[in-house]
Amino acid sequence: MELKGISRREFMKVAGTGAAALAMSDRLLVSQALSQTVAPDKEAAGYTFCDACNGVPFCGIKFSHKGDIITGIEPWPGFPTASICSKAYGTLQRIYHPNRLKYPMKRTKPKGSADPGFVRISWDEAYGMIVGNMKRIREKYGPHTVFFYVGDPKEPRASVQRLAATFGSANYGDESSVACRKGAYTAEVLAYGFGTTGSPPTKETRSMLVWGTNPPYSGPAKAWQNLLQAKERGVKFIVVDPRNTPTAATLADIHLQPLLGTTAALAAGMMHVIFKEGLHDEAFCSNWINGIDELKEYVKTFTPARAEAITGVPEKRIVDAARLYATSKPGGMTLSAQGTTHDLNAANNHRAILMIPAICGYLDVPGGVEVPSNPLEGFGGGWFNGPPAFCMRKKMDGMSEHRMDIKDFPVWAKVNFDVQANRIIEHIKEGKVKAFLAWGFNMMIWPQTHEYQKAIESLEFSMAVDFFYRPQTHPHLDLILPGAVNYERLAPFAVHGRKLFGRTPVKPLGECKEDWQIALEIGVRLGHPDVFFNGSVEGACNDILRMWEVSYEALRVAGEKGLVVPPRNPDSYKKYETGRMRQDKKPGFPTPSGKVEAVSTILKKHGFTALPEYKEGLKTSKEYPLQLLSGGRIPYITHSKWREDSPWLLELENSATLTIHPDDAAKRGIKKGDEVVLSSQWGELRAKAKPSIMVMPGMVGIMHGWAKANVNELVPRMFDPISGYPPYKEVPVQVRKA
Amino acid sequence: MAKYGLIVDLNTCTGCMTCVLACKQENLTRPGVQWNRIMEIENAALDHITYVRHACMQCDDPPCLEACQSKAITKRADGIVLIDQKKCVGCGGCVDSCPYGVPRLNTDQQYFPGETLPFEKNAAAFRVQLSGKSSKCTFCVHRIDQGKSPACVEACPSKAMTFGDLDDPQSGIRKKLWQSKQLLADQGTHPKVSYVVPKNMFKPSEQRITDPK
Repeated sequence: MELKGISRREFMKVAGTGAAALAMSDRLLVSQALSQTVAPDKEAAGYTFCDACNGVPFCGIKFSHKGDIITGIEPWPGFPTASICSKAYGTLQRIYHPNRLKYPMKRTKPKGSADPGFVRISWDEAYGMIVGNMKRIREKYGPHTVFFYVGDPKEPRASVQRLAATFGSANYGDESSVACRKGAYTAEVLAYGFGTTGSPPTKETRSMLVWGTNPPYSGPAKAWQNLLQAKERGVKFIVVDPRNTPTAATLADIHLQPLLGTTAALAAGMMHVIFKEGLHDEAFCSNWINGIDELKEYVKTFTPARAEAITGVPEKRIVDAARLYATSKPGGMTLSAQGTTHDLNAANNHRAILMIPAICGYLDVPGGVEVPSNPLEGFGGGWFNGPPAFCMRKKMDGMSEHRMDIKDFPVWAKVNFDVQANRIIEHIKEGKVKAFLAWGFNMMIWPQTHEYQKAIESLEFSMAVDFFYRPQTHPHLDLILPGAVNYERLAPFAVHGRKLFGRTPVKPLGECKEDWQIALEIGVRLGHPDVFFNGSVEGACNDILRMWEVSYEALRVAGEKGLVVPPRNPDSYKKYETGRMRQDKKPGFPTPSGKVEAVSTILKKHGFTALPEYKEGLKTSKEYPLQLLSGGRIPYITHSKWREDSPWLLELENSATLTIHPDDAAKRGIKKGDEVVLSSQWGELRAKAKPSIMVMPGMVGIMHGWAKANVNELVPRMFDPISGYPPYKEVPVQVRKA
Repeated sequence: MAKYGLIVDLNTCTGCMTCVLACKQENLTRPGVQWNRIMEIENAALDHITYVRHACMQCDDPPCLEACQSKAITKRADGIVLIDQKKCVGCGGCVDSCPYGVPRLNTDQQYFPGETLPFEKNAAAFRVQLSGKSSKCTFCVHRIDQGKSPACVEACPSKAMTFGDLDDPQSGIRKKLWQSKQLLADQGTHPKVSYVVPKNMFKPSEQRITDPK
């Protein structure tokens, strides 16, 4: 069928088949960047990093400014993350949003009042309140009852850890210790001894396992470009995702769509095939996998037929996927930072995925799951951790017996320095927490949000730094502080591999201060000017940069190109054979057994299932026949951010949208745009329906963070015992027309 | 003289909306007006969603030019079709004439009623959008005149768009042109924006499975 002859009216309607009928191409697009000569701008250029998703990718932004007024933004040329996304463009409008917080505010009405009566105060008064309460509470209940929290962006984590350690509290937590990265990280450390979501495909890579992630909607552009280029080179892709994502559509040779919560069964099914057909790397398995015999025995019962019965993935596809991955050697992987850990079997599900590249012998071989040979010394892997020396990690570790999570989530507490915060309601009731100091805090992160709001309200003192007044969170707190946005911050600088980049901030609006400065100034007022660099953010950054014999001034001089810290050792592979993976320099993986752990020493010690076993999760029923996938990424929203912050983005989607398979919608008489009621055993909300094949039959999707349709009220306060994560992605629900 | 064109590769477009926002930020279009739009086209039978970046086709024979009673629409020597909002009387003739449904009448809304944000004050002429007047993608002519490509092209994380001189046999766009198709080619508009459509769309995902044996 040719498009010729289609009328304009028909064009929109039939574009589905019409566009399909156009000529087909056999090659993916190769970038044809035009050579560009940039005319000199009248305005000056400046540089910063985006915090629109969470401040981990650190995508580079070049901005033009006239004095302190930012007039436009573009991608930072040549930056390691490549281009920027829709949310980054939205940050321009966010800076000057009339509702931005511009000065500190304290509540004047008692907690629980309909109107908290926030009034403007000076920074002096604000700091007086904070430091006064911290000292009083430390005196009365002990230092560990003050909880330090960093939500989103993650940028201030290092400075706040230093503050917690100096103050003397073991209780520092962040949004990773509620819902995000550290659940998967826990599984990775248990299995491999180090955290990894995989590595980019290289010219040696022959296959890729992409599990539960859709990089064009949730990652830096460079990560997606790496995958596209691999596809062009003929790398075979197995994409596992219940959603019909652009990643699956663009890359997948085989797309597996498992039911939610069945990850470990699918992985076991694939391993069953790999072992049965002898496609595994026997030498690696016998030398380097702890509990290999137990693993082989365990997956024996997961025949493809049984795996299909559990996961809903056709038997043949499981077999095809296992063969394709195990025979296209070496295979790499790209995993979600958290998507596969939002169910009640979170840690074991994720551990099961990690065993697949391991049994194929793909760990730390060229083109496989590569481990950096020269991670930047002393950096600690990323700002979501922070440099251990600067963060005073040793002092924190020394106080670990006072962590409030140690009894509830002992494995978590063993693996993570961040304190698990999901049972904070109980910990508050038990008197273990009396004050809560937060940088970027949104209580909608929690399942059954209203219970957390009540608990936080009962504290003796609470504060949060933010860019805007957040009605779901701030009415329950005592003090709100105005944060400087990314164009107004100096800290932290960016680290990409061994490359360092600095920023050139403009003056903050109103009385806004950057997160780091607030943490440092609290430290100074607590009586530690020397530990907190007399409140100098640049001084704090220099304290870290000194490890690599550079300074912030050197970053400024280096400008757009950044600085490289030369590697100390040549790159090498199979570092588990040479002792380059372990601190004690002995060969092996950095796990207790020195091997990849199919049978986990730590889990065994704490009485948990030691193998990455499948466990049935929340069951659908006649009353609640659909599975709820909350938080599947859409490209122009991150968590609860980007609703009112930038109307440019809000106009793309201005209310909660429920994606439902067209068949399920038709069964319920639901059409596009209909208002629907989504309900679970635990709560309900209203949303606009969008019938779409983005989700499978039997599954519905919705983004979290809509204040008027908070999906986390539908999620129960049930937690995976290892990671402590709630089941954001497996709750049984029903949908009806409103 | 150059003749500028654009090819959009639907194999790599992911519907990420980066081009939509890059355009918004560059041109400060009015609320509800997007010069760059993404259509989601779902084909349930093929289990496939295609995202189509849709904007002015920069026709060589633009019907809007003929339809404009106030002669506000012109075509430059390099083929770029522009609306002069100062001359436009907002009659909507161009809106009705465009077979691709591209031009939009600017709304009189503001993102922050009564507020002018600092970057909106004294903004360059190309960033001023008059209410009630017709507007559409300008191919970022202000950037082209500085030797840059349009903001959306530069912003695309998937590098799905190829921009260049259709008259230059050595240009990237010319080398790619044979793969692409014009939309509504029978309308005589001779659009200079064309599309490469997904190679996988005729194959259900079941058939896409590669058997390694």
